[in-house]
Amino acid sequence: MINYNRFTLDNGLRILVHEDSSTTLAAMNILYDVGSRDEDPEATGMAHLFEHLMFGGTALIPKFDKHLLIAGGENNAFTNTDITNYYITLPSENFETAFWLESDRMNLLDFSQRNLDVQKSVVIEEFNQRYLNQPYGDAMLILRPLAYKVHPYRWPAIGMNTGHISNVTLDRVKDFFFTNYAPNNAILTLTGNIRTDKAVSMAKKWFGQIEKRNVKKRKLPAEPVQTEARRLEVERDVPVDALYKVWHTGPRTGKDFYTLDLITDILAGGESGRLNTKLVRQKKLFSEINAYITSDIDPGLLILHGKLMKGVDIQHAEEAVTGVVDELKTKYPSAPEMEKVKNKFESSYVFANTSILNKAINLSFYELIGNTGLINDEVEHYRKITRDMVIEAAGRYFESCNCSTLYYRTAGAIK
Amino acid sequence: MTGKHPAKPQVVPVSPGKIPEAVSARLDNGIPVYMIEAGTEDVMRIDFTFDAGQAMENIPLLSSTVNMMLTEGSENYTSSKLNRILDFHGAFYSQYSEKDRAGIVIFFMSRHTGKILELAREMLFMPVFPETEFRALMKKRLHWYFVNRDKVANLAMDEFYESIFGKDHPYGRQVVHNDFNNLDTGLLKDFHSWFYSPDKLAIIISGKIHKDTVSLLNRYFGSFRPQGGRTPDKRAGLRQSDVRKVSIEKKGAVQTAIRIGSPSISKLHPDYPGVKVVDVILGGYFNSRLMRNIREEKGLTYGIHSIITSLILSGFKFISTEVSKKSTQNAIDEIYKEIEILQRVPVEREELEIVRNYMLGEMVRMFDGPFALAESFRSVWDFGLDNSYYYRLAGKIKSIEPDEITALAKTYYRIDDLYQVTAG
Repeated sequence: MINYNRFTLDNGLRILVHEDSSTTLAAMNILYDVGSRDEDPEATGMAHLFEHLMFGGTALIPKFDKHLLIAGGENNAFTNTDITNYYITLPSENFETAFWLESDRMNLLDFSQRNLDVQKSVVIEEFNQRYLNQPYGDAMLILRPLAYKVHPYRWPAIGMNTGHISNVTLDRVKDFFFTNYAPNNAILTLTGNIRTDKAVSMAKKWFGQIEKRNVKKRKLPAEPVQTEARRLEVERDVPVDALYKVWHTGPRTGKDFYTLDLITDILAGGESGRLNTKLVRQKKLFSEINAYITSDIDPGLLILHGKLMKGVDIQHAEEAVTGVVDELKTKYPSAPEMEKVKNKFESSYVFANTSILNKAINLSFYELIGNTGLINDEVEHYRKITRDMVIEAAGRYFESCNCSTLYYRTAGAIK
Repeated sequence: MTGKHPAKPQVVPVSPGKIPEAVSARLDNGIPVYMIEAGTEDVMRIDFTFDAGQAMENIPLLSSTVNMMLTEGSENYTSSKLNRILDFHGAFYSQYSEKDRAGIVIFFMSRHTGKILELAREMLFMPVFPETEFRALMKKRLHWYFVNRDKVANLAMDEFYESIFGKDHPYGRQVVHNDFNNLDTGLLKDFHSWFYSPDKLAIIISGKIHKDTVSLLNRYFGSFRPQGGRTPDKRAGLRQSDVRKVSIEKKGAVQTAIRIGSPSISKLHPDYPGVKVVDVILGGYFNSRLMRNIREEKGLTYGIHSIITSLILSGFKFISTEVSKKSTQNAIDEIYKEIEILQRVPVEREELEIVRNYMLGEMVRMFDGPFALAESFRSVWDFGLDNSYYYRLAGKIKSIEPDEITALAKTYYRIDDLYQVTAG
């Protein structure tokens, strides 16, 4: 049982505190309710670029890192389609330094053209390193716009292309800050070797004075229901062919989320997952294959991808995948198989929550999606899934008209 | 902000304090067991670590293949049954074959200790190396190899190891396509019987340790006897190349991977803690000189890092980064420039203060929680050291002076000693 307390400051900042005295450290997580889905389609990559700028200092504290390091702290951040998330861990006796630093940059950043220029170029190198200069690195850049025609999930958090990143102006940066970075658009979670009353009074002291801001109301276009199978074939200089298939799913808080997650565990959880057993080990069609769901807040995707063994025909490989997937629509998984994936979920949950940082990040996210209690109940949601629910969900989601398929082929393969 | 900004909080000096010691025991056949009790959840981590790393192999891929085959079938379990049971119990495992050691780490809920140990015995001491699984694994590995060799970072790294340790030593030897055809199950069985032997094994356990763990370990592992092993001349072939600069061309690459470094002293050397401080200043943390210069001032890269690592027979340090092709020379020049400054100009007090606190903060994290504790334990135990190494390191971090840093940089970062590899 993970105990936590919840508070809200007058300026709208939501605060969660969880005490864990088994560590000497404390963790602070700040989640801002802004991600790449909130970007202008003509200026994508902004939320992530902005995350980089957040480390550029303020007028009051020009060197963010320096002070954190002197306090023995460590920090980082990530941006995804839905959120921008910052976190710090440090020895708990220096916890107040984290409040000082995070409240200061929530209050006002130092927007310098120089910092913007440098970080644009860093992010472009990140784009190159992670997406363009890796074999198969651009697959999701291709798949997203195939699966999404309207919703902003059609571009990844890094941005649609490097051109969007280089075009960002200082004015847009400022505007982005004031419409998204605000106490009333953030969740502050404090975990570790701390006392709740002390943590709350520090939060009041440091964040309490930041004024509420006018946060832009989110109004995103819903993705229309896909009505026909989509297919695309690309050719790249890669050593072997790869197959990608994605299906639309429901929202994170929708009733099928856990069932679909469990389905991907049946398919690809651990060495004994069905895809690995049947298609890698028995039929030897793939050298590796995986399946998972995105935990996107808006309707997301179930993603399946595998790399083919040389000489295997990609259509044949796809048929075999479809065979494994379709079996879920008609045949009950065995009781031990259901039990296995549920046990595995439970144990990964227990392991994840051995870390105060993971607990802080998870609490923040659950608070954002309106159900903080999930930090303790999530295992129960999996335990409740029945075999009928699996068959029903598989039948509804694994339809070819709900699927986008990408053949990612080695150069020269397409005739 | 409406009111006055409160005053900057006081900062207390950080220190790792007292490090929890492992409790040691021996099984009936002498296998050492180290136990670190920590954490709040009923979970355990167990590391079966053997002196069976790449240093022991006379043919490329042998150590790693034996290690990967441990879960491919044993006397009483097929691979799929083994994995099904492990998954059913919610266990996670990772197999590793490093330059020096090889083994399996298993994470599991403490209540399953008995079952997990029974399966671990099957994997570690009773594997049968079935022919079909072996062939399938080699075919898969060849595919992974093709994909890995398509990444400039791997091309540069492999070449770097060859430069500093030589093409005739397992530390440096690069795997080539044909190596995948040179193994057979007989070789695997021999390697296994020589090196996955009770006299080459240590067991490191951490977490909320099940009370019967030692007696269960004795039941499953306490009666195996060493078969009479082999002691290869591990140093044979270990020599650095005469060629200091290598450049690998990769058609169509957007970025170039750079590796610059050299063989180095290991943890056993008295200068090592001081060199670690030098390494951190240069490129070992986010605020390092290389990061500030090459990323935060020039924006040439997403990241640039330096690291120093110990091996049983040697050690090495290197700087690594990926930059756009046109910036390659610029980045290389700046790397050498930063090294040269470190050798010439004493570090300012403020920077040294930051580095000290960062490193001490890292040490606190290294001993936080059962899993971190186990890793920190092994990384000194491997070298026959104990926690006194960490106390020495903490002492050096607190006491090192700028002139010592300059002197260490001159001794250990001589530009003429460095190897430079680029791929892109």
